[in-house]
Amino acid sequence: MNDQSEVRSTSSDCANLDRRSFLKTGLGGAIFLGTVSATAGLSGCSSTPAGRVSAVGTRMDASYEFRFLTADDIQLFEALLPAIVGPGLPEQPQARRIAIAGTIERIDAGIHNFGPANQKELRRLFDLLNFGLTRVTIARVWSSWPKVTTEEADAFLERWRTSGIGLFNNGYIALTKISNVAFYGYEDFWHLSGYPGPPQWAVDALPQFQNA
Amino acid sequence: MQLKDRIAQGLESGWKVTDGATLTENRTLEADVVVIGTGAGGGTTAEILAKSGLSVILVEEGRLYYQKDFKMDELSAYASLYQEGMSRVTKDGAIAVLQGRCVGGSTTVNWTSSFRTPDATLNYWAERFGLDALAPDAMAPWFDGREQRHNMEPWAVKPNVNNDILRQGCDQLGYSWQVIPRNVKGCWNLGYCGVGCPTNAKQGALLTTVPGALDNDAHLIHGLRADKLVMNQDRIDHLQASAMAADGITPSGITVTLKARHFVAAASAIGTPGLLLRSDIPDPHNRIGKRSFIHPVNACVAEMPEKVEPFYGAPQSIYSDHFNFSGGVDGPVGYKLEVPPLHPAMSSGVIPGHGDTQINTMARLPWMNSVIALLRDGFHPDSPGGTIGLRDDGSPYLDYPVTDYLWDGLRRAFHTMAEIQFAAGAKRVRLMHLDSDWYTTLADAKAAIDQLPMELHRVRLFTAHQMGGCGMGANPEESVVNGFGEHHHVGNLSVHDASIFPTSIGANPQLSVYALSARNSTRLANRLKT
Repeated sequence: MNDQSEVRSTSSDCANLDRRSFLKTGLGGAIFLGTVSATAGLSGCSSTPAGRVSAVGTRMDASYEFRFLTADDIQLFEALLPAIVGPGLPEQPQARRIAIAGTIERIDAGIHNFGPANQKELRRLFDLLNFGLTRVTIARVWSSWPKVTTEEADAFLERWRTSGIGLFNNGYIALTKISNVAFYGYEDFWHLSGYPGPPQWAVDALPQFQNA
Repeated sequence: MQLKDRIAQGLESGWKVTDGATLTENRTLEADVVVIGTGAGGGTTAEILAKSGLSVILVEEGRLYYQKDFKMDELSAYASLYQEGMSRVTKDGAIAVLQGRCVGGSTTVNWTSSFRTPDATLNYWAERFGLDALAPDAMAPWFDGREQRHNMEPWAVKPNVNNDILRQGCDQLGYSWQVIPRNVKGCWNLGYCGVGCPTNAKQGALLTTVPGALDNDAHLIHGLRADKLVMNQDRIDHLQASAMAADGITPSGITVTLKARHFVAAASAIGTPGLLLRSDIPDPHNRIGKRSFIHPVNACVAEMPEKVEPFYGAPQSIYSDHFNFSGGVDGPVGYKLEVPPLHPAMSSGVIPGHGDTQINTMARLPWMNSVIALLRDGFHPDSPGGTIGLRDDGSPYLDYPVTDYLWDGLRRAFHTMAEIQFAAGAKRVRLMHLDSDWYTTLADAKAAIDQLPMELHRVRLFTAHQMGGCGMGANPEESVVNGFGEHHHVGNLSVHDASIFPTSIGANPQLSVYALSARNSTRLANRLKT
């Protein structure tokens, strides 16, 4: 709460929101999460899906249309994924970027199927992590996500995993679960779990796999 | 081998099946009976009513998926076949809720375990809720009938290693174990029951009662969400429903009005109380949505010295009821022990962790066994269950507080699971708990189990069995429906799903739902024909 001076806001995190309105609210409560999201929404912070992100920077495949994740959310996951699934990512830089981008697309596709209620919960969580002041005060992540190192991301995840506050544990589970499932569950990374995939003899014998 | 697809053939033969996403204008339809839900309860009801000559409309919020769609792939199956894309949780987020959302409901994605309602449960219902007509002897013919209808038999094939570890551990410790009856015909023993049976072996509602109803002129509308039952004086006049777009998630704006003489709610123990609450169904004693039960599940994983390949083979074939009723039916909470299948997406989502810890754990998946405990909730004053409520948008939520009585059971279950895994030769064991390490000796595991906080979120909890919320009973002051699933106050409303259970079952509930629905639908058919 005394770390306002440490806020290093970026242009994208809507740092102009009325800070007092946040500080008046108890930290760590569900009401607080709601306030962040509502305030962010009212102030015109980006809550619109990123749509087709142009084929620049880290993202190779611009044909994917994001339906839930915003540009800020994508940066958040670009920072978190190296800490969550990094040891399984390819080392070659371009392959690594592609693997991260693909995982973020599958996270978005998965969340689309979560439906409105859980999307609302995740919107609150992502807004809290993306908004500079709450990122610093609640998540205690000092840099904006594009500048966060893997070590810092890991330290943040560890804080939320080991926290005595259930809400943070819940946030940890939400972030790691959707990331782990989208990564380890995808065919290209099955080998990391020693999973050979469906038995080939069955695939060869079943009609739904023929003339694909 | 079952390579002829029953659904594809039926669609070709002219079954009345409507995909809600194809509707372009509002419609009104009429039938003798509207059945809401196509799972264990709705499918059974629709088949029996249609065969008796009544006209039936079946309403399903999820979409029609069948063999052509079942490709043994976790990510696509979780997205399309499960409630909320497999992200459903209890209100505080602490318990993951696995529940089907497709034609066939949870029977399309369950692991095929087929148990009769335990005698102790039925006797408790008779004594506590005045449900004497459901005594074991009276129910036996209904269980017999449904076991035949769904081809339920104890699994005659050797259990996979994952299940055999539960057997070995129980043997070593002198705990009883049994072979699980499964509802399969010509099963290939592949291990993909949870993502839609790829071989048409599973005899769930999708391949039995739903086709049976459609063969008898029932009309299935899928991709159609039941919004509200609209009353006219003391009877339901019609069901108001919303068509969903082809993504299965977004309402298209098209509405369908369904008129009928009688309405059967079979939309699950979360969906049915939600529908009744949205509909302002008379509820003078405020019972709708109360006493929701879930068989709270906790889990341990073990690394075994030999390969387990827990992703292959019939997912559930061995169980132990050693601790299920050992404390008496209404003593300290009992638990059933089973084994879950472990595929990469499910495992990486269930085992909490990230970074090196997670990849090192995932790398041992081929050697991994898991045991789960299913707590028999609802039989004790300190296990009053949860509550179904409505969000602002009208969608239902389940609020399930975990009481100290249940935490005690969860801790005991952790002890038992670790004992069994070490007795079966585990090299190390880990609890599904945020603070759990891998433990290489039973003593270390037990010390940790005694010391780790039993708290929401830290203990990973799950439910695949949603029950209650529209409980049956003789006394209208403490129940929603009578022992035949007939609503106490609305003459043309019945409930035929797991929401009528006044407690949990103490076993995987699909056969309990099939049998009660068959019994109650047979009575309903006679009633409506005269």
